[in-house]
Amino acid sequence: MKKGLIFVLFVVLISSFAFAGGQQEQGEVTIKWPSIWVGKDSKAPAVAALVQQFNEENAGSIKVEVEEQPNYDGYREKIRTSIAAKIIPDFFTINPSPTSLAYYDSDGILDFNEVMDADWKAMYNEGTIAQATHKGMLKSLPYEVAITPVWYNKALFDKAGASIPSNWSEMQDVMAKLKAAGIIPTSQMTGGSNAWTSMLWYSHFVASLGGPSAWDKPLSDPIYVKAAEMLLELYSDGNTSIDAIGGDAGVSGGHFLAGETAMFINGPWYIGRVKNDAPEVYANTMVDSAPAAGSNAGAQIGFLQTNLIAADLRESDPAKHEAIVAFTKWMSAPDNVARISKEAGSMFAIKFDSAMIDDPLQKSFIEAANSAAFTNKHLAGVFKAEVVSEFGQALGKMALGDATPAEFVEMLDKANK
Amino acid sequence: MVSNKNAAVTTLQNILKWIFLGFFLFISLYPLLWLFLASFKGTNLDLQTNPFGLPEIWHFENYADAMATAKLGSLFFHSILVAGFAVVVNLAVTSMGAFILSRVEFRGREVIYTMVTAGVLIPIISFMVPYFTVIRVLGLYDRLLALIIVYSAINIPVSIFLLTNFMGGIPQELEEAAIIDGCRFHQRFTKVILPLTQSGLATAGTLCFIYAWNEFIMALLLTSSESSRTIQLGIRFFTSQFQTDYTSMYAAIVLSIIPSVIIYTLFNEKIVSSMTAGAVKG
Repeated sequence: MKKGLIFVLFVVLISSFAFAGGQQEQGEVTIKWPSIWVGKDSKAPAVAALVQQFNEENAGSIKVEVEEQPNYDGYREKIRTSIAAKIIPDFFTINPSPTSLAYYDSDGILDFNEVMDADWKAMYNEGTIAQATHKGMLKSLPYEVAITPVWYNKALFDKAGASIPSNWSEMQDVMAKLKAAGIIPTSQMTGGSNAWTSMLWYSHFVASLGGPSAWDKPLSDPIYVKAAEMLLELYSDGNTSIDAIGGDAGVSGGHFLAGETAMFINGPWYIGRVKNDAPEVYANTMVDSAPAAGSNAGAQIGFLQTNLIAADLRESDPAKHEAIVAFTKWMSAPDNVARISKEAGSMFAIKFDSAMIDDPLQKSFIEAANSAAFTNKHLAGVFKAEVVSEFGQALGKMALGDATPAEFVEMLDKANK
Repeated sequence: MVSNKNAAVTTLQNILKWIFLGFFLFISLYPLLWLFLASFKGTNLDLQTNPFGLPEIWHFENYADAMATAKLGSLFFHSILVAGFAVVVNLAVTSMGAFILSRVEFRGREVIYTMVTAGVLIPIISFMVPYFTVIRVLGLYDRLLALIIVYSAINIPVSIFLLTNFMGGIPQELEEAAIIDGCRFHQRFTKVILPLTQSGLATAGTLCFIYAWNEFIMALLLTSSESSRTIQLGIRFFTSQFQTDYTSMYAAIVLSIIPSVIIYTLFNEKIVSSMTAGAVKG
């Protein structure tokens, strides 16, 4: 009797797990959105408010359900697995890269060219739609963009009696002055999945040495070795912290936040972090282009940071397709984009009235983007995943003295082949 | 003279033994101690500037923040349900399987045993697409039952390996005596072999529980809503693409490791005895 009762309870409990589900109103279309803009992400509150408002305005007809995915690496794995299993999420985001362009080959993903009219396309900044177009298809829609200028801690520069360097020679002088004042000149890192901070320094040098079409040059071009020599110098003679080799973004960013390093590179999403965790550093930070390493000054490293993707349900579920298009338009509306930008410091591919931005550092980012002589992608946005992951390994080896700059580039070239 | 020399050697051996043990105790416990202290520090910056020292101010609110941000209370409940039922299902299946593989002679027994246990050699990541597809087709996506089934299945090779070896060590005479006393086939399993396999069951169950408790990637893949989220997913709520609230995350991790520690402490002796079972045969 007792065993039977336990068995019945077990079956009831298991069944409740198996069959319990959310209630859905009749006739209501539900869009599922696995989103990384949740939890501690700076965009989370603004995005949540926009989703809530959309759901309220479309109550009874469309409901967007956010599936919270706070871990980015896990999220990427989940999206990759879903697409491999041909079960495409209704609506999601990707970081555009040569690797994620493989998603364009999936039949289940919507080509936005099929649904966008001229007015909708006109909302985007020049060139962004073209950047997201691959093989004539627009299977991901540009959304968040970024530039990654150099962050200069002016208070540390003043303490060392140095001014912002405009070229490599001045950079060498500035680094010497900073070290003499007991300040570590730059934040660097070889760890993480792409050695982010150092990869951006390298990309700045390549842009300055090679100009707007620098990445079109093959890796056998001398600019890559020259840029590697400069990067090596940033790792030498105390020009960066001793934990940079093997360090991750927490290390490079942490030293800048702690007021220990005078120069750092990152995107506008980091503004909130500096503002909250290191208000003194925030008050003394200015952003500008990197010192010119070659003949091309004033370059910025800019890229599409996040693109929107949707499942192609035009034939299988036209009602949901219409709902997804409506939600995409809602998230891309200039006023809504401005709301996210104001709260999170993000920059967007969609034109919006930047007068409402009141954060001085965020304004500096917008000014830096507008005044850039030209904008190039970073290395991770140009080369395939094998080269990107090799970059940190090769850099660590070069920084430890186990490889020359020429050998560093050879390692990248080998990975590229 | 010889006695004094022996005493000195013994003392020296004892000192070396304690230094050796102390060293391993230190390297085993220090990461946990560091984690515990870090969970009380103020901001990421405090952690960066003072990574090894005591917190200047003890921020007990990190624990409240951890509970509130990731809603750890309900996630704890989900993880306990998933891990608990995964153990029950896993042991129910593998104990019966191990009984047949260890006590019944039939053609192909070794082949089946080798095929099942070889599962430990296959990386979990290679199961992601098949598991995802099967769970979606079964309509179990975003259900705790999906995790129960997957975790109990993933642990089958280890449990079969442990239980088959354990049951194989039980003397055949006990089963023969039971047959003479009138035991039927299923009673030989339920009344003779299973009660004598408690240590093995505890070991296999503990390993399965710890796996299910700590597993992250399948939980992320097969669930999406708060109603089916487990504790390991909750811990990731303190990270985002570009920043991590380390101190609150460490508080959440400290809370999350408590059940694993309790389970291991409770079954520690049985696990050790089970691991060494069969090592000495009389």
